[in-house]
Amino acid sequence: MTESAKDLLGKPLTADEKELLGLYQQLKAMSQKQQLPPCALMNLKQAMVLLWNACNDLGLLGEEPGCD
Amino acid sequence: MTPNWSPYWNEKHETLQKDQLRALQTIKLRRLVEHAWHCSPFHRRLYERAGVTPDQLRGFDDIRRLPFMTREDWLGNQAEKPLFGDLITRPASEAIRYHLTSGTSGKQPLRVLDGRKDWSWIADMWCYGFWGFGIRPADTVFFAFSYGSFIGFWGAHYCCEKLGCLVLASGNMTTEQRIKQIVELGATVVCATPTYALRMGQTAEKLGIDLRRDGKVQKVIVSGEPAGSIPAVKKMIEDMWGGKCGDTAGMTEIGTIMIFECDHQPGGPHIIEDHFIEEVLDPETGAPVPYGERGERVVTSFGRGFIPLIRYRTRDLVCKVPHSRCRCGRTGDIYDGGILGRVDDMKLIRGTNVYPRAVESIVREFKEVEEFQIVITREASVQDEITVKVELKPDQQHIWPQLSVRLGKDLADAHEGLRFNVLLAAVGELPRFELKAKRLQDLRPAN
Repeated sequence: MTESAKDLLGKPLTADEKELLGLYQQLKAMSQKQQLPPCALMNLKQAMVLLWNACNDLGLLGEEPGCD
Repeated sequence: MTPNWSPYWNEKHETLQKDQLRALQTIKLRRLVEHAWHCSPFHRRLYERAGVTPDQLRGFDDIRRLPFMTREDWLGNQAEKPLFGDLITRPASEAIRYHLTSGTSGKQPLRVLDGRKDWSWIADMWCYGFWGFGIRPADTVFFAFSYGSFIGFWGAHYCCEKLGCLVLASGNMTTEQRIKQIVELGATVVCATPTYALRMGQTAEKLGIDLRRDGKVQKVIVSGEPAGSIPAVKKMIEDMWGGKCGDTAGMTEIGTIMIFECDHQPGGPHIIEDHFIEEVLDPETGAPVPYGERGERVVTSFGRGFIPLIRYRTRDLVCKVPHSRCRCGRTGDIYDGGILGRVDDMKLIRGTNVYPRAVESIVREFKEVEEFQIVITREASVQDEITVKVELKPDQQHIWPQLSVRLGKDLADAHEGLRFNVLLAAVGELPRFELKAKRLQDLRPAN
């Protein structure tokens, strides 16, 4: 996990939050792989965005919404 | 077995203590302004002119260092650099949605673009509202909405898909077809403007359908007009449909809702404060007004990345009260009575202020009224006259002599004795609306 295990307010992440954030980071990294077949890449992007939403709601990351 | 759902969409932040909420908003504000500073030339110019930089935003109150953004700024920018101006933070080719403001004000519409994350966030804000009002995966949700370029209930549609509800999109159906499908498929939730929720109820009566008996609607979610928080309008909708009526409010400039009524219904909607900063300011001076006083909504949205919305002057009139008014546990403050109208809605008639929403709240106390219209004229180039045209239900025509006297008196009593002309319109004479109603006609010459 690249980010510190704290939320935006500095509270330690719960085990579920860590897992959620980890999943998002995996999807985000994988959705950069342009060589993937469209059926994989586009669905990955959709999944990544939904995970971003969950992490954003819970204050697990501070990415501006513009970057996907 | 029904799962034991949380009453909150996001308990972690919806119940955050106020000091923590302010800290979260401050962190998000600074990141948002940094994003706008680096990616939106429009915002960079705005801040440079005001002599403010992102690093000056250290505490919550530093938001006041930031200049306001207005609709005129936005329109001017799009006119100068068509089609979308340079306030967008990314190339237009990366957007996935394009929408317009509704155009009911008769002004040039605003154009908006959204990316994938924006659009997902837009649906998520509706989730706060729908979940908070008790919509759950087992619900069947009917959208009485035309699905055009006006953003309207688009986000709510995707919210309900996200929740796992059965979604009924009515698109270009007629009112009669919509009512029949609501009954046939047993919709448990109906979404519409308050005006159209009433119209569907009236049409059902004419079709001989008793929605309370024949339908299964438990909740009517309204949006798009201030009338959604007028108690008399809500009662009419609830009487017609047999379900609870919950108000929400949003705007195309945000792309979604920023306030929603929870199922405790404390007299107004909660602000989604972990995703928005809602300031209430004196519209003339720009100074903050305290709880319980009317002022203009100025919104900052943390969710839309394509078009940053920071200290945007909405011209909406509101009255903020503390979250403690409600016992639901949310710490988002409340707009007492919802959106009260527009700052520029106020009409001055012979020295008295008249707000269309206030007139509607009185007219809707009379259940015999089917539709109404407010007409303002200037007689002999001097005297302003205000007339309320009233269309009664076809079987209630006999009540007019008594109703007209009472209505005229109630309107005058609520407006410092101002005389209102009250006229009976023929059945079917007044216009009907599907989206936002336009019931005020100011026919006075422009000064």
